[in-house]
This record gives sequence, C-alpha cells and structure tokens, in this order.
Amino acid sequence: MTDAGLTAAMVSDAPAAARKRVVVAGRLLLAVLLVLGWELGARTLGSVFFAAPLDVAARIVTLARSGQLAADVASTLRVSALGFAIACVAGVLLPFLLRRSPRVSTAVEPYIMASMGIPKYALAPWLILWFGIGDLPKLVVVTLMVFYIIFITTTAGIRAVDQRLIAMARVAGAGETAIAREIIWKSLLPFFFTGLKVALPRAVSATIVGEFLVATEGVGHYIEYSRQVADTVGVFAGIVIAIVLVLAINAVVNVIERRALAWRPVEREMEL
Amino acid sequence: MMRWRTTMDRLIVLAIILAAWQVGSFLVGPYWLSSPWAVAARFCAQLWSGELIRQSGYTIEESLIGTLVGGVPAVLLPFLLRRRPVLVAILDPFMVGGYGAPKLAFAPLFILWFGIGIESKIALVASVVFFIVYFNTLSGVRALDPRLVQMAQIAGAGEWHIARHIIFPAAVPHILAGFRIAVPYAIGGAIIAELISSNRGLGYLVQTGAMNFDTTSVFAAILAATLIVLAANWLLNVAERALLRWRPPAQAVLDTGN
Amino acid sequence: MGEAPLLEIRGLGKRFPARHGREPSPWVIQGLSFSVHPGEFLTIVGPSGAGKSTLLNMIAQIDTVSEGEIVFDGETMASRDARALRPGCGRRIGYVTQDDNLLPWRTTFDNVLFPIEVQGRLDDKTRAHAEMLVRAVGLAGFERYYPHELSGGMRKRAALIRTLAYDPPVILMDEPFAAVDAQTRTQLQADLLRLWNLGRKTIIFVTHDITEAIALGDRALVLSRQPTRIAAEHAIPIPRPRNVQDIFALEGFAAVYQRIRSDIQ
Repeated sequence: MTDAGLTAAMVSDAPAAARKRVVVAGRLLLAVLLVLGWELGARTLGSVFFAAPLDVAARIVTLARSGQLAADVASTLRVSALGFAIACVAGVLLPFLLRRSPRVSTAVEPYIMASMGIPKYALAPWLILWFGIGDLPKLVVVTLMVFYIIFITTTAGIRAVDQRLIAMARVAGAGETAIAREIIWKSLLPFFFTGLKVALPRAVSATIVGEFLVATEGVGHYIEYSRQVADTVGVFAGIVIAIVLVLAINAVVNVIERRALAWRPVEREMEL
Repeated sequence: MMRWRTTMDRLIVLAIILAAWQVGSFLVGPYWLSSPWAVAARFCAQLWSGELIRQSGYTIEESLIGTLVGGVPAVLLPFLLRRRPVLVAILDPFMVGGYGAPKLAFAPLFILWFGIGIESKIALVASVVFFIVYFNTLSGVRALDPRLVQMAQIAGAGEWHIARHIIFPAAVPHILAGFRIAVPYAIGGAIIAELISSNRGLGYLVQTGAMNFDTTSVFAAILAATLIVLAANWLLNVAERALLRWRPPAQAVLDTGN
Repeated sequence: MGEAPLLEIRGLGKRFPARHGREPSPWVIQGLSFSVHPGEFLTIVGPSGAGKSTLLNMIAQIDTVSEGEIVFDGETMASRDARALRPGCGRRIGYVTQDDNLLPWRTTFDNVLFPIEVQGRLDDKTRAHAEMLVRAVGLAGFERYYPHELSGGMRKRAALIRTLAYDPPVILMDEPFAAVDAQTRTQLQADLLRLWNLGRKTIIFVTHDITEAIALGDRALVLSRQPTRIAAEHAIPIPRPRNVQDIFALEGFAAVYQRIRSDIQ
C-alpha cells in the first residue's frame, strides 16, 4: 500500500473538494463536542470545579458592561506593550553593539545563555521586595522574557547575513554605521519579525502570569483573585478573556507580517 | 592559543559581574541585593543540610512527571495520525489555539481543580510541554522523505516496520528539538505554580524567602533553579549528540547560540 | 530462451492527473509493449528524463498505470488504483533507484541488511551472504560507517548490494551508475555482471548511455521521445563473459552502437 498523498503522481483532484468539506465539518463537530463536554462537566462535577458555559458568558458580558473588562485588559496591555517596547530596543541594540567586538561577544556569550536559564518568574517575589506591588515588578519580568527572544533572533539574523555583501560595502567605502543600517538591518528584518511574532503574545501572557503573583488589576489578577475567593465562574471567565486576548494579538501580528513581508518568498518558520 | 584567551576573557567577565554585585551590595545594603559570598555560603549550607536537595527534588519531580505526561502523547499522536491527514487537519486549529493560548494562565484553574499538591503542577507542566512537543514531532513526521518509505515498501516492509525503522528515526531530531525547547518552560511552569500556591519546591523556597525578607535565601533558590535548567539542557545536548551521530555535519543556517 | 516471458508489458500508458479545471495532461507513455524472459539482462536506452523512471516505477508497483497491463509471472497486476498497488510485488521485484535512498541513521552494513531484517530472514546464512557482497564490491572495512561518511560511488554500491542481498528474482535498475565517475562506473559494471552471473537474476537496466546498454545487456530496447514507446529492439550479439573495460574493442560492438544511435536520433 503506497503512502497516499506523498507522490505527486498519485494525487487525484476529484476527492480534494470533498475532503475539504469533511475537514471543515469535522472541526465544527469537534468544537461542538468540546462545548458540550464543558457543559456536561459543569453539570456533573459541580459548580466548585466547573463553571457552566452560559454562566461564564454571562459574567463576561457583565464585566464588559461594568467597564471592568476594559480596565483590566487595558492594564494588562499597557504593561505588556511597555515591557515589549523596552525589550525590543534592548534586544536589537545589544547584538549590534556586541557585533562591534567579536572578542567581547565570545567572552559574554556563555553568561547570556546561562542567564537565559534563570526562571524569570522566580524573580517576581524579590522584585516585590524592591518595588512593592505595582506595575514595576511585572514590567521587569515581561521585559526580561521578551528581551531574550528578541536577542536570540536578532543575533541569529546578524550571523546569517551574507559576509560578501558586507565586504563589498567596505570596499565601496561604507562606514560601520552605514553597513549596519543598510545591509544588516535589512537582511535582519525577516528574523526580527519572527521574533516579534513569537514575543508579542508571550509578552501578554507573561504579564498575565505576572499578575497572578503581584497585582491589583489586570486580567491575570482577576483570575487569581477569583480563585482565592472561590469564584469559579470568575476564574473561567478570566481565562477565556486571556485566551481570546492572546489569540487576537497573534492574529493581528500575523496580518501585519503578511503585509510587511508580502514581497518575500514564503520562508520556513523558525522554531523557537 | 585562542581557546586560552577566550577562557581568560570569560573568567574576567565573571569576575566583573561578581565584583559589580559585591559593590552593589555594599552600596544598597545586603537586604536588597545580598552578596555573592552570602548566596554561595547559603547555597552550600542548604545543600549540605539536604534542604535544597529535597525542595529541588520536588520541583524536578513535578517537571519530570509533567514532561512525560505531556510529552509521550504528544510524540505518539503524530505517528498514529500519520495516515489520517484528514484528522490532523481537523485537529489543527485546536492545536494551534492550544499552542498559542497561555497555558500558564491556567495555573489558578489547575490549582482550583487539583489542590496545592503535586497534581496541579504536573497538569500545568504537561499542558505546556504537550503542544510544543506535538508540533515539533509533527513537523518531523511530515518532513520525511517519501522515497525512503517507498524503498522500504519495495523491500517488503509493513506498516509497523516503516514506522519503527523509517519514520521514527527520521523524526527523532525533531522530537529532541521539541523537548529541548519545552524543558525550560516545564521547569519554569512548575516553579510558577509553586510560587502561586504550594508548600514544597523551589518556588516555595523563593516565596517564603521573600516573605521573610531573606534575599539570600531567595537568590540561593533561584541559583538552584537555574542550575537545574542548565543541567537539563546539558543532558539533552548529550542525548542529542549520542542519538544523532549519523547526521551529516551540515551547518544549520541559524545558529541560535547553542 | 524458449520459456514463457516472466514479465509482459502490454500497451502501457501513463499520464499524470490533470490540474483542477485544466485540460487533461499529455501522455508521458503511450502504447508501450515489451516482454522480459527469465534470467535475461535487458537494457533500456533513451534520452534522459522522459518516461524511464516512470516506467520502472509502474513495474515496481509504486506508481499507477493509466492504460494497458503489466503481467508478472502470469498474474495481471491491478495498478490503476493507488490503493491496490503492492510495491515490490511481495518482494519479488527489487528496485535500485537513482537516489541511493540509504537510511542515514544506519551504518552501511545495517543498511545492506535492512530488507533482510524487515523480511524476518536475518540469520547467519543471510548475514554471511551480505558480508560476501560487501567484500565483492570493495566496501570491506566500511561496514560501520554512516552514509554521510561514504563517497557517492560507495553509497551506490551499498544500495546495489542492499537489493542483491535479499535476492529478488527480478531487479529494476534506474541509471544506478549515472552520477559516478567513468573509472568507478566501469568497475561497478564489471562487478554487476559478475554478481549477475552467480545467480542469473532477471535484470531490467535503464540508462541513457548507449555504451553501457550494450556492455551489460543481452537485449537493448530503445525508447522514443514523448509519448514514450519502444522505438526499436536490438539483440546484443557479443558473447559472455564480457570484458567491460575493453568493450569498445570487442567484435560486434561498433555495429550495434551505430544501429542504436541512429534509432535514438
């Protein structure tokens, strides 16, 4: 029996349209089953562990009406955006600076890699000692998280730059800054965008997790607070909001990427 | 010659870092920053007393079991679904959604369900590891060269043989890559769950240290956690080198600094 | 040979499926017929690319047939439907492809043993047979090497003896020596003939090199351009055993060569 679908010669066209319909139907079916399972879980396992879908939906509407939803989301996004921005700048700048001195690069590299192994969230309690409860501890954690992602992708991008282009530019008399700007930065863009794509949703989820540990507002805070007062509906509602938020950001980034890199042939995704 | 100079450079950098830390400690006071010496001393003391080993043990146990619980199905699923591309296509948006959704955000939910014991940590780690390993394994199974499968079929290999001798070895590099990526998330996830609510583990040590304003304890615990992550990475590197001796030394275009 | 043909190709045709909404694609192969007798070494010559590999793929049952029939050992093979294909025909048809398709994660010797292992026939006898083949093609000492550590020619030899090791009665070969330098090629041709002599298998050998076709075959078929069919058939009157190193000097070579070359124009 041959491996169906792997040899071009064997792919026939007629069933393709039918297959697509099966796939779409299957997805709808699965989605419906999941929601039903959710409802069933709520009925059998009791309201302590499970909140019914309708109750969760109702709670989300309530939160939206009262304005709390907007306030929490805004708070989470505010911290994520700020942390993301700082980390981007640092994550791009540092590789470029390190590039100037290969000797410093090699000397510093193992420490950067080792520091990547530090569980960043574990720093949160210590940051609270320093800065108290507020935005700052969350901000630091988010910034650190995003920094490493951007740093690694940028470094990889710089390393992948064609050395001959740089040599050509030097021969033509270009200075270091010009080379950095024209050649390296441009070649770097696809890698940079891959990093952005990965980092942006991570920034938001890092903020949410940070809010578990220290916060008075934000989506993560709402989830954790609901858990502490045994408000299961609240926990579920908060999680749904968190998922929707992160997936929405994912989608937005995808759209932006497609527009910005529309001229490029399709690149294989970097696995991070 | 170069190697020696690089090692010297690196030692100098280390010295600078430690010196800066020590200076900072003088300036701001040991309460905020502790000091290199104090942390080292506390680390050794806790190691000696067995406390650190015990708490690390809990965290490692949570990470390990969670990785197995999440990783094994994640490896098996692409193999089982290999001949059912329709099923894979149906599952795809859910898997992508699961991968993109912040699993760590589920931590309070898992604690709600399973209590503050080990189960909630395992659940969290498993959910994080599952999606990462699934996608990496899937890409490994898909990247297979169909001509190798045809060759095996002509030689008389049945489904089982093909899966075992062709698909699996080809997918191993991808599976290892998946676990490599997942490991820091696994350990980090266990620690986060411990930070939120636990009475055991390294996260618990960090939390209690912070509550007692004992920065030295906090740093010692963080040091232990970092060492565990680095050790796990190193182990996976060793495993990879051993299992992948057959790979041609083609350089990957992207060297992500490993 | 007065025996019944082992393999019969009748009116074979192949076209690839049309793209959605477009015209049906042209016939790659059409009305191709020939037969092969047991123990025969048949060579097939034709311009590079075209339908040579496709033809072998269909015989080996890894590709579907659009038209016509393949009869193997008296049994008509059902090959219209991809799901009914039986690659290798129950291990009776071996296939040495253009790419060596060695498994990169197995050592050379383990690669040679792969079909035997998969067929559950691994024992001292089969292992010894494989070792003999390894020595026969000059790969002794390289058994524990991985494919990426071998040269192209060595990988080809390993792929060749991998098929020989499990002894299928029919072996298809798709330009196996094309990517190898001239010296190695003549050596490999000599090795192949020697090994073929030991067992008298039936071999169908496809090549674009006329000299190779003449040096190796009892009979040479010439393929036409697309839609491919058999343009001509030539018996090779050169007696065996043949010295492939000096094939040019042998009696009858020049005449056959001229005939085949004019057929290809």
